[in-house]
Amino acid sequence: MVLEHPQDETRHHFTEILHEIQHGLVRMGSLVEENVLRAGSAMVEGRIGLVEMVRNADEPINEMYARLERQTFETLARQQPVAGDLRFLVATTRILYELERSGDLAVNCVKVLDRLHGLPEHPELNATLRQLVAATVKVFRMGIDAIADMTDDAGVVIEQADDEVDDLVSEYYTTIAQVSGDIGLDAGIGLSRIGRFLERIADHAVNIGENVQYIVTAEFPGDTHAALTDED
Amino acid sequence: MSESGDHVTTRATEQPAPADETSAEAVETHPPHSPVTPIFRVRDLNVFYADFHAVKDVNLIIAENEITALIGPSGCGKSTVLRCFNRMNDLIDIARVVGDVRYHGTDLYAEDVDPVEVRRRIGMVFQKPNPFPKSIYDNVAFGPKISGFKGNLDELVESSLTKAALFDEVKDKLGDSAYALSGGQQQRLCIARAIATSPDVLLMDEPCSALDPIATMRIEELMQNLKQDYTILIVTHNMQQAARVSDKTAFFNVEVDEGGQRTGHLVEFDETGKIFTNPAQPATEDYITGRFG
Repeated sequence: MVLEHPQDETRHHFTEILHEIQHGLVRMGSLVEENVLRAGSAMVEGRIGLVEMVRNADEPINEMYARLERQTFETLARQQPVAGDLRFLVATTRILYELERSGDLAVNCVKVLDRLHGLPEHPELNATLRQLVAATVKVFRMGIDAIADMTDDAGVVIEQADDEVDDLVSEYYTTIAQVSGDIGLDAGIGLSRIGRFLERIADHAVNIGENVQYIVTAEFPGDTHAALTDED
Repeated sequence: MSESGDHVTTRATEQPAPADETSAEAVETHPPHSPVTPIFRVRDLNVFYADFHAVKDVNLIIAENEITALIGPSGCGKSTVLRCFNRMNDLIDIARVVGDVRYHGTDLYAEDVDPVEVRRRIGMVFQKPNPFPKSIYDNVAFGPKISGFKGNLDELVESSLTKAALFDEVKDKLGDSAYALSGGQQQRLCIARAIATSPDVLLMDEPCSALDPIATMRIEELMQNLKQDYTILIVTHNMQQAARVSDKTAFFNVEVDEGGQRTGHLVEFDETGKIFTNPAQPATEDYITGRFG
């Protein structure tokens, strides 16, 4: 297993490769988290200037995805991993996908912002969106921490934390519906999509947690494969 | 054999002539995108045992401080090629080596090259651990003593055993017979013995095939540490081992002519990661996926 090895273990070199991949996941996750925050600032504070930065910041994330996937693939081919090592590497390919998609969703948020030339100024909407961004980032960060700490109940814990995001998204949709007359259909649809993107980012964090739990315990929470409960 | 100082000069001035480049064989002999310092340059190597053509037209460039694995089915010539790197084939009367094998730019088979000196610089570890029937200490000290080593022998023995990751296990019984050690320890002792004469290359011919899995992993781990100081070439039947330990992999195959003669040749040589995830040649893929051989 990734974090727990005896000091005098025989396959030190292999363990180093696994650690390198684990650190890579954490670094990539941190970049995504940073970009979700950046997209959030762009939306909540109306900083259109950040739009281009968010787009550009997705490039190194995609490069890391490609590099880590290649490294994982090569390690599977070369090191004949079994047991916890095998679960870690297989789950890594899934976690990489979750991270990469989350990065794309941050970009999708600012694309809406760009298309609408800024979000409509509406204090109540803005306050809910601000809360939603904060809750999403909090849940996403839990996913990254789970990768770093390899916590055995990450799936369950993050799923619970995700309830707050789901509640806020519902609240956000209700508010959009209430003010749709003021802001217009186009903006209403755009804002709804942003709500959906943020909700999905948090869902990806839940999947990351489930995969971490799988690495540590060999079982998905509730013995349900993450992909079976997924919706996109 | 010129001294190491001369090697630097030789290497620096040895620019491949354009003619050499265009005469390169169909087989890619130098993995792309890998800036490396070549320690060996093999050109058009052919080996014969009397009338038997064992290996045909091998072209290879071996990088310094890397582990290069030679793999392939039985009879593909990988061990024969390995033995060309320190002139071990000289010891077989009927063997004849044709072609150019350069070590730091020096022709290993030139008339003025002393094969004994070649083997001091290019050490070898064999399939079956073969310690001398002497003490652990004497096994390591023997080579340096006969080659006139003047320094502190105790220190040399200790540092060689340490590099071979064996010292801690034997430090209290250096006077015991080498035969008292386990197979894995004996193999590490043989590595210490090879290291003691300060080579810069280690040739390993199936070094783990007589060892259990844990002893095998220890040798593989040791190789990862040794490559900082040495260039390592390893022949292995175990392609998973090649995948685990090596930086570059050369795949050899055997072809049978109309007369039934079996001749080995180099099929593909590339980064090990490339070979085991996306080999260029179908024959390589068939072999590494276990479909033949």
